Amino acid sequence: MIDHGYERLEDVIQDSIFPEVDLALRAGQHVDSEDTDRYAFLVAAQRLLEPLYLRYGADLIHSPDRFFFLVPRGDRLGRRHLSTGEMLLGQVLALMYLDPATVQAAGVISRAQAMELLANLVGEQRLVAALNPRRRRRHEHVSQELARQELDRALRSLAALGFIELLDDEKVRLRSPLMRFAEPVRGLADPSAALQRLARRGLVDLLEPGPSEEPPEEGGEG
Amino acid sequence: MDRAFDLHRTIASLHQARVSLALETADLCFLISLRERADRLSLASFEEDALVDVFMQVCELTDPGAENPRKRATHAIQRLREQRLLARVDGAGLIRAGEYSLTRLATAVVDFYLADDALTRDSLTVLTKTLLSQLADIKASASRARDDADWRRAVVEPLRVTVADLVSGIERRQRGLDTQQEEVRGRIATLLQSDWFGAVGDCEALLEQTSTTLRELNEVLLQDAVHLQALLQDIEQLAADFPHAPAEQAAQRVAEHVDRVSAWGSDRLRAWSDYYQYVHRYLRDVVRLDPDRAVSQRLRDQLASWLDRPFALGLAHAPSIRLLREVDARAERPPVTRPRRDLEAPLEHVAPHDARAALQERVLACLRSGVTSLSAVVSRVLPEVPERDRYRAAGSVTATVGRDPRARSAVVRPWVQVAGDLQLEDWSLDDQEPSR
Repeated sequence: MIDHGYERLEDVIQDSIFPEVDLALRAGQHVDSEDTDRYAFLVAAQRLLEPLYLRYGADLIHSPDRFFFLVPRGDRLGRRHLSTGEMLLGQVLALMYLDPATVQAAGVISRAQAMELLANLVGEQRLVAALNPRRRRRHEHVSQELARQELDRALRSLAALGFIELLDDEKVRLRSPLMRFAEPVRGLADPSAALQRLARRGLVDLLEPGPSEEPPEEGGEG
Repeated sequence: MDRAFDLHRTIASLHQARVSLALETADLCFLISLRERADRLSLASFEEDALVDVFMQVCELTDPGAENPRKRATHAIQRLREQRLLARVDGAGLIRAGEYSLTRLATAVVDFYLADDALTRDSLTVLTKTLLSQLADIKASASRARDDADWRRAVVEPLRVTVADLVSGIERRQRGLDTQQEEVRGRIATLLQSDWFGAVGDCEALLEQTSTTLRELNEVLLQDAVHLQALLQDIEQLAADFPHAPAEQAAQRVAEHVDRVSAWGSDRLRAWSDYYQYVHRYLRDVVRLDPDRAVSQRLRDQLASWLDRPFALGLAHAPSIRLLREVDARAERPPVTRPRRDLEAPLEHVAPHDARAALQERVLACLRSGVTSLSAVVSRVLPEVPERDRYRAAGSVTATVGRDPRARSAVVRPWVQVAGDLQLEDWSLDDQEPSR
């Protein structure tokens, strides 16, 4: 049952939807306003759930873009950060979410469009190199295939985390949690300062740049 | 569409006849100009010179420097005739220049590009009220119908032609409104691209306008569809009581059509509602919060330099709860073996048993005892043979008896019942000694 407010934490935990929402948040999922029941539950229970998750060392975040997610600060709850493929693809999808051209189809785009934009913005060679960090002197076709597989994995992972919805093999629907990828550039402050601020809150992890990659071989051994 | 319509046969015949439709822009413009002239001057057909004139006017607008416009007009007319878009209607052949009219196909093609009769509250109300009145008349006629001719004239044909045309009219206008909605979506995207924050008001107005139209149409459809279905059910019931199967089927077909038309309203309203919510969310979360459209450019820059200054979003990643299985001591399974035995087992002496030889011996004994016919031998020998082998044994007995020189076969052999269900053509045995 979803009420407009809970008096006690016990009422929240007794609600039949709690286990499902709790497991989703702990698995890193984002619950947005399109997910009507779960979002309404979180809005109603936010006041009581925030202290609960704080005891686990995690912040329950309610974004102004109308979605919830959980960010662990300590080591009581497991924590991970997104992979290179997920970050690159996520930023491209966020860019498409902001693009008014996607409004006509209510935020539905094709995978091919996203991949093409990513290759254009990052550069195909740099992209392939970034997605094959441990492989040196590889065959061009092998590297490209591995990069494609990595991006496919990233797309499925972003869908599992609630950033997007996979409608079929080709169509993808963009969802509001993608705005997390644009968080460092939403204010007018210097993006580096914004990143430092987000890192202090545990919302992002700052990484070391990867080693410069050798360009892929034109032919030869894979 | 008629239920007897055979899709496979139609496709096969179209394929066999190599039917195709290929229209260039000039041809389309030509057809539209002809239609406009026909409407303006109330013309039912065009003389050949008029066709050429219209084509040359189109040419002047679309391709002013074109050479030999008259020759091009002749080719265009020929092309359109071959594709059954223009039909010669005078039947004069070579005697004089022809007179042509636009075919139904040409009219439909032109209508597609010109028609702006999308569904509105007024047009829908007029159509549904007319439909209700027609159905009420048909119901009255159905209650008075006395014979098959009455049913066909007053019920089946009006349902098939008038009512079906009215429902199709609503459906056609629904398709027009679908196109309009698609255009509104395109306009909203274009407005945002060109004017971003300044377009918010216009976008909201467009959204509201279409939402209101769809809501009103859905209300009219829901309300009137109930009355339409009730009348159709009454007609169907009258036809079933008479009974008159064609009228019943015609009423059912129209009812299905009305169902489809009323389902359109709720489907489109739901689809539009999703789009409406998406655009409102977009206007509120993206456009209003970023009036200068700076975030897109900054995000683009962030992505381009991400490999040099990487960061990653942090997430909860609690492993799923580990469920331990019940403790289950693994049972020690014995290895798969078979008992040892001596493979070199000693051979046993067994008395031979030759059923065929034994049978032959019994037959010979019978023959020696002085029986006078084949049937007597078989009747005596066969009861000792297991039932399933008797048929085969009878053949074997006959072969043995046949080798006896006393065996005689008459020209017409009598059929004699022997053991069980068996019958055979009998032979006699005269009074001589057997040869063996």
